[in-house]
Amino acid sequence: MTGWTVEGLESDLDRFHLGPVDLELPAGRVLAVLGPSGAGKTTLLRTLAGFLPARSGSIVRDGADVTDQPPEARKLGYVPQGLGLFPHRTVERNVSYAFEMQGRLDWKVRTRELLRRFGLTALADRRPARLSGGESQRVALARALAAEPALVLWDEPSQALDVAARHELGLVLEELRGEEKMPVVVVTHDPGLAFSVADRFLLLRAGRVDGVSDAASLLAHPRDAFTARFVGYENVFDRAALAGAPPGALATWLADRAGPQGIAFPRPTLGEGTGSTGAWAGRVRGVHPGPEGLALTLQVDALRVALRAPLPLGTSTPAIGGTVRFDVPAESLRPLG
Amino acid sequence: MNGGRLRAPLMRRRRLRGWPWLALQIVLAGSLLALFLLPIYALFTYATPAEIWSAATNAAVDQAIWVTLYASGFAVLAAVVFAIPLGYLLGHRPFRGRSVIESVVALPVAVPHLLVGLGIFLLVIPGTPLFKFTHEIGFPVLNTIWGVVLVMVFVSAPYTVLASDLAFRAIDSRTLEAARSLGAGPATAFLTVSFPLALRGIVAGLLLTWARAVSEIGGILIVAFAIYPGGAYEGPVTSTISVLVYNLFQAGDLQGAAAVSTVFLLIAFALFLLVRVGERSGWVPWRRGELLP
Repeated sequence: MTGWTVEGLESDLDRFHLGPVDLELPAGRVLAVLGPSGAGKTTLLRTLAGFLPARSGSIVRDGADVTDQPPEARKLGYVPQGLGLFPHRTVERNVSYAFEMQGRLDWKVRTRELLRRFGLTALADRRPARLSGGESQRVALARALAAEPALVLWDEPSQALDVAARHELGLVLEELRGEEKMPVVVVTHDPGLAFSVADRFLLLRAGRVDGVSDAASLLAHPRDAFTARFVGYENVFDRAALAGAPPGALATWLADRAGPQGIAFPRPTLGEGTGSTGAWAGRVRGVHPGPEGLALTLQVDALRVALRAPLPLGTSTPAIGGTVRFDVPAESLRPLG
Repeated sequence: MNGGRLRAPLMRRRRLRGWPWLALQIVLAGSLLALFLLPIYALFTYATPAEIWSAATNAAVDQAIWVTLYASGFAVLAAVVFAIPLGYLLGHRPFRGRSVIESVVALPVAVPHLLVGLGIFLLVIPGTPLFKFTHEIGFPVLNTIWGVVLVMVFVSAPYTVLASDLAFRAIDSRTLEAARSLGAGPATAFLTVSFPLALRGIVAGLLLTWARAVSEIGGILIVAFAIYPGGAYEGPVTSTISVLVYNLFQAGDLQGAAAVSTVFLLIAFALFLLVRVGERSGWVPWRRGELLP
């Protein structure tokens, strides 16, 4: 059982400044690091791993300060962006690398066990160049877990994966969360993956921590437009988008209820009669069928609003170019900021 | 109409993709290949087989060939010991002044080699501090095998530096970070990841270094026109093969010069071929980029 405490961690990369970051990472915690591009997600990971020196603050593992230790002494499972598989080694020898570094005599047995667990036995003699995206991910994960790390750091696990491989990765990670006893820090742009594996979310913005929260509070109180979009709100409007609308318009109504950074709300559902009643009206711009019904986009004055029409559809199916009426329940509005 | 004006250049471009385009490439590339091959052909056919055989069995010629291969072996060894680390330094990560050092490395390739010889000569002629020093440590330079090696290293090591620089630079730094996080120290990461991945490029550079070392004459003419016993060489007074051919030519012995050249070219070709075939068929470890089984 390993826990980590990060206090006041700061580092610099060229002109970029990260921190101060405070984190509590008890065993079993899966922390997703969220933030727009350039927020410092990878910088945070590389500082935790020891590839970037900490300018100040401390990283403590089980009471021992590791802030000034080199990466190889930190007991990490680090999966860099792009995975960093060894192209000159087979899958087996990629996975066995950490055992070799520890000088373990039983590396063959242990590697075989890991390969079996990650479904890689048949690929043991392949080179990384001949693996699919999903297979590469599993190799990277198996390799990172080989040394029984005290902390797993993972940069963009679902990058460049197709739908099936992403789904598979999600399953592997969910299983992992149940088994492993170390904390995991995962940087991701993928809300589906983040929500399925993480129990805490760290929001980074321009190198600063914008808060740590759990899924429920993230959904109930998204801090800003980025977070709102990330957690799945499709109707996200900042103050600028709402400004300048005539009285009585949806934009004005929303502006009166928005927070300092704008407002977000989930897709309103079309009720009985699929869009013949409601306070607002808009022209249908897009209709996307899905297993749970139709996803619609409407043009309402200057706003694009996303709606949902659950199956089975009523008498009239909304068509592109047609007009649809809808309501926005006031209790679904989430002021931002 | 606009359409007509637009179509004309398009059609011309399409026509260039046909056989005239291919013919142009063949003519241009073929001219250069002919320039490469014709002098070699002339060398091989000037001397009669009997003359080539007598050159090959001549003790003085054999001595010169042996001393040339021996000295070039030292040059390659020096490239392994000194040029690969410099290439690693340059390619591993960017730093201020890197391009300045890269220019210095490229310098020996650009400087006329007679000047190189003259420079080394001026450094080690009797009376200079380096003359005294080199004699005291048993490393005399003028007219010794060490002089030959020194000139060879000067003109040939840059190829290994540049090749390993590029080879190390091509390695994804995240691969190394993965190795470090898995418990490898910087030296272990170098030995298990950087070096195996760069090995193919490095070997290509070493081959070029060897070829350049063997073919050197300009600097050797000044520093070690004749090679006297001393240093790592104990044997009759001799010279490198290039100097021997030069001497034969100066003496007006064209048949002799051509015969010796042919013998040496055959040996050099054979060695080059051996390495290439070895790479292709996987006899050599660097082909797979993996040193361990």
